[in-house]
Amino acid sequence: MSHQNPLVLTLQDLETEALSAIRAAPDAGALEDLRVSYLGRKEGRISEILRGLGGLEADQRPPVGAEANRVKDVLQQALKARETEVASAGGDSGAGIEDLTLPARQRWKGGVHPVNRVVDEIWSIFRSMGFVRARGPEAETEWYNFVALNTPLDHPAADEQDTLYLRDSALLRSHTSPVQVRTMEKYEPPIRIIAPGMAYRRDSYDATHTPAFTQIEGLVVDEGITFIDFKATLAEFARRFWGSGTKVRFRPSFFPFTEPSAEVDVKRVITKKDGTRGESDWIEIMGAGMVDPNVLENVGYDPERYTGFAFGMGPARIAMLKYGVPDLRIFLQHDIRFLSQFTTGRAP
Amino acid sequence: MNISYAWLKSVAPGLNEGPEELAERLALLGAPVEGISSRSEGLEDVIIGQVKSVHGHPNADRLSLCEVDNGEEVVQVVCGAPVIEEGGFYPFASVGVTLPGGFKLKRAKIRGEYSNGMLCSEKELGLGRDQSGIMLLSGELAAGQSLTEVLGLDDVLMDVEVTPNRGDWLSHVGVAREVAPGGAGGVTLEPIPGASPIEFEVETGESEVSHGDVTIRIDEPEHCYRFLGVIIRGVKVGPSPQWLAARLRAVGQQPINNVVDATNYVMLEMGNPMHAYDLGKLEDSSLIVRKAAQGETMQTLDGLEHEFDDEMLLICDTSVPHDIAGIMGGMHSSVTGDTTDLLLECALFDPKSIRRTRSALGISTDASYRFERGVDPEGHLPAVKRAVEVILATAGGEVDGPILEVLPRPWEPFSLVLRPARVEQVLGVRFEPDQLAALLTPLGFTVQNGEGAGVADDWDADDGVTEGDDLNVIVPGFRSYDVTREIDLIEEISRSYGYDRFPEDLGAARPTTVPDHPLFQLEDDLRVALSGEGLFEAVNPAFASEHEGEVELNNPISLEESKLRTSLIPGLLRNLEYNFARGARDVRLFELGTVFHSGQVGEPPREDLHVSFVVTGRSEPEHWSGAGRALDYSTVRGLVETVLAISGWEDAAIGGPAGAATKGSGDGAMFLPEFSIDLRSKDGSTTGAAGQVRPDRVDAPAWAGEVWAMELMLPADPSVRATTIYRPLSLFPGVDRDLALLVPYDVPTSDVSDQMCKVGGKLLERVTVFDLYRGDGVAEGHRSLAFRLRLQASDRTLTDKEVDRVVEKVVKRLREDMGVEQRL
Repeated sequence: MSHQNPLVLTLQDLETEALSAIRAAPDAGALEDLRVSYLGRKEGRISEILRGLGGLEADQRPPVGAEANRVKDVLQQALKARETEVASAGGDSGAGIEDLTLPARQRWKGGVHPVNRVVDEIWSIFRSMGFVRARGPEAETEWYNFVALNTPLDHPAADEQDTLYLRDSALLRSHTSPVQVRTMEKYEPPIRIIAPGMAYRRDSYDATHTPAFTQIEGLVVDEGITFIDFKATLAEFARRFWGSGTKVRFRPSFFPFTEPSAEVDVKRVITKKDGTRGESDWIEIMGAGMVDPNVLENVGYDPERYTGFAFGMGPARIAMLKYGVPDLRIFLQHDIRFLSQFTTGRAP
Repeated sequence: MNISYAWLKSVAPGLNEGPEELAERLALLGAPVEGISSRSEGLEDVIIGQVKSVHGHPNADRLSLCEVDNGEEVVQVVCGAPVIEEGGFYPFASVGVTLPGGFKLKRAKIRGEYSNGMLCSEKELGLGRDQSGIMLLSGELAAGQSLTEVLGLDDVLMDVEVTPNRGDWLSHVGVAREVAPGGAGGVTLEPIPGASPIEFEVETGESEVSHGDVTIRIDEPEHCYRFLGVIIRGVKVGPSPQWLAARLRAVGQQPINNVVDATNYVMLEMGNPMHAYDLGKLEDSSLIVRKAAQGETMQTLDGLEHEFDDEMLLICDTSVPHDIAGIMGGMHSSVTGDTTDLLLECALFDPKSIRRTRSALGISTDASYRFERGVDPEGHLPAVKRAVEVILATAGGEVDGPILEVLPRPWEPFSLVLRPARVEQVLGVRFEPDQLAALLTPLGFTVQNGEGAGVADDWDADDGVTEGDDLNVIVPGFRSYDVTREIDLIEEISRSYGYDRFPEDLGAARPTTVPDHPLFQLEDDLRVALSGEGLFEAVNPAFASEHEGEVELNNPISLEESKLRTSLIPGLLRNLEYNFARGARDVRLFELGTVFHSGQVGEPPREDLHVSFVVTGRSEPEHWSGAGRALDYSTVRGLVETVLAISGWEDAAIGGPAGAATKGSGDGAMFLPEFSIDLRSKDGSTTGAAGQVRPDRVDAPAWAGEVWAMELMLPADPSVRATTIYRPLSLFPGVDRDLALLVPYDVPTSDVSDQMCKVGGKLLERVTVFDLYRGDGVAEGHRSLAFRLRLQASDRTLTDKEVDRVVEKVVKRLREDMGVEQRL
């Protein structure tokens, strides 16, 4: 709009003039005078313009009207704000001498649970590597929790996880691995998932055990997935999570549903108390391995055609290491003083 | 598995690594070492003292005067232990010796009597927690010997973690097979001091074998595959010699007597559990492997009485049981000082039968642990010979007759086909057949060229694999439990090659067919929104007390956690109480979690994802301009609306005063009736509730503010919010009209504003409530509500007339339909 109605400019001048007058007004009386002179129904200068709208060309009315309303709003707010100021200043106590160091007005800050912060961080790394999230029920059957995962119930491996049972042989899943089976049953390869969720074991509460805990499962299945892809993907994850100087080690281990199986350890770069750089001990961060052919067979995949790898980790344990929390039970107390240390914002 | 470093070295000749290096290598082989401990530190100067005599202290009731032989002289020692055996051997610290705690012994005068040293307890030596008395030592001992030598403490104890698939690692020989320089073939047994070579004959029968009046028999060939027995007569049972006792002590076992120690020694060395019976206590000198009669009982070695069911396997004489097969021996026929004739048993049992019995009886022993994980079916004869050698060398006696062997199911070694192409498919690295052989042979496998070898049924040559490359791999007995398939061999190849030698090249990945689950996205949105509103996320265990939950746990840990929760609020209220107890007034928590309801019979429970919050305290932090207001209904309602807007329910709404949904999950309602609302989904069904928590539902201190809470079930299949379509913005000014209305208390504000919108039609763009007044000038039973109506047309500036028409219509209809009058 190249030709602005002169009334718009007049309104803007009035606004500037009025605002500085309002700022300078010493008391409530002066403010009332200003209100009457600008916004008063009869002789207010803004109101006057508003009343005159009808006399304008039809296409000029909307812009002028809108501007008049805007200025009216601004002035009303300024008046109200100054009124509060004047009222609380209580007379002559240094109007115009503001202390800019007084604390700001705050809103409450909240935050995501520290364990879920770790879950989010892990998820964001895997998302960037082409993974999606899958989920499954927490109350499971023996088939999904054990048998389909190549864990016969009469094998000592089933003891490793003392399971909480419900009636009719239903149970609370002792790991998030059943999600592997459920996902493969529903979808065809390529599979590339992580599955964060709760798992349950018959453990008493102590510094390193809780009967309910968050776990993150991972599964990749496709043609041509090898032990090299397995190592590369998890080492890449570990370095992104723990920092680029992190050393990653794969150790042979045993899980009934993977073969070969591995424990993944990391050695982190740390800053020691005296400020020098050093290395941590090896820290175990996940159990993993190539998917056992029996598991693939159990979901109807051809194990001669498809291969894959799976992994599982405990974000609470990782959160302990990352944030220096000495006892898992602290995560369950939900002490506001503790949670306030993890307020919303980008995870460090 | 406790491994003695010295013992391991003795069976793995040429093993030169120190304990730390060895631990590192074991970790990379799959057996991480949980701890390495040298227990001799600080005990180098402690010796064995023999108490010659004990007398009461003349001036103190609770003290004794002991004459202690320290190997050089007999000295007087004052001792406070309640029991001291004359002739007993005890750890003795002479004057001048410093104990592990830093305590240096001086010659002291105690109640008038000199004490020249100290007889020590386990705790004083840092060897254990027992401080109830001084540490009586058993075995063949002499005063003046070094304690660390006697206890086998001049050694390093390695706590090796053995995964459940590797039963073969539960012995020193088993571990040596993997770490000995020559591999499995390089393992030897240490010479037994004082042993002379013995010639053995073996007599084998399918179900029964006898020698003289001694008979052994297997009635359960399905569960007992092999049973070896050896008769030894004329033994002299007594303390074990020092070398034997030290070996056991070094791995944390207490020596018992030379016969029992010999069997334990061989089990720890070679992995085969065995048991020695007092032959004189066996009726008809027989041992029969049979199932228990229902209700049959036996007292085991540890003094406990066990009752059996008819599935449990026992070893019995012709009338009573003497051993729970593969688990624990009986008291009655145990070897004691009076025993002269032995029947030594070494057998092989079905791992599943052992597992079932021992879990039903609730016991786990060194023997059952090994049988469950698989004992080498080829190891029995060498183990029995070894045990006899040790017994004869330490307890004397003579073998009577041949080794008796009942063998209903002879062990058949088996072989597996290994395809190099399959190895490459899984591991990503090409190994040539000779490389594969070089990797597997040291682990005890025998690798043959596959030509002519049997090809497994489950694959055929169409796979493009050249049959000529295939290998035939014979599995040794000690790996016959965990290596039964080609993939098991591939794992062995990767382990033998070294996981660290595989490259880590990140290849390209194809996108997955699986969608990112929408409930995770919903959870993300709720987390961001609620934490942005100043709430902290809680993650509580999904358990509930016996009073609260619906679904029961069969094997709960405690009554407080014996059911599964149906609501998240009780857990959040407990978190709140925890904070109240620590003086926190301002607490705002939310949780996203699963709740459980009973499902159909025979089906798992029904699960729902819920979101809840519990808030109390001020609505904003304290500020110098004035105290923050307490959280009130209006603020909480705002939070509820925020949650509903992103809940994934289409058209979720606050359904007015709450009905059934406010009923808590246990003893009565959760919310105060005057401050509770139902949350409803589009079809009108109740999905949640919110309100002020009843004071009896939360243990709050007097200074605490009102507690507000909300709970909402989330949809299993959350709806996606419709895509926003741009609406043109009006170029014309809108007009505000304020209306003060006298609204009867029984007319809800939402009804008034709904009616305004309905009547106002297209021109009424927005209705805002900007004031509420109660009191002077307002008629009884009414309150004055001030509404601001914004009227706007998209194509013109509204005239006063048009505006008046709409407002008048609204006022008229409110008066006529709802009894709401304009306040003038």
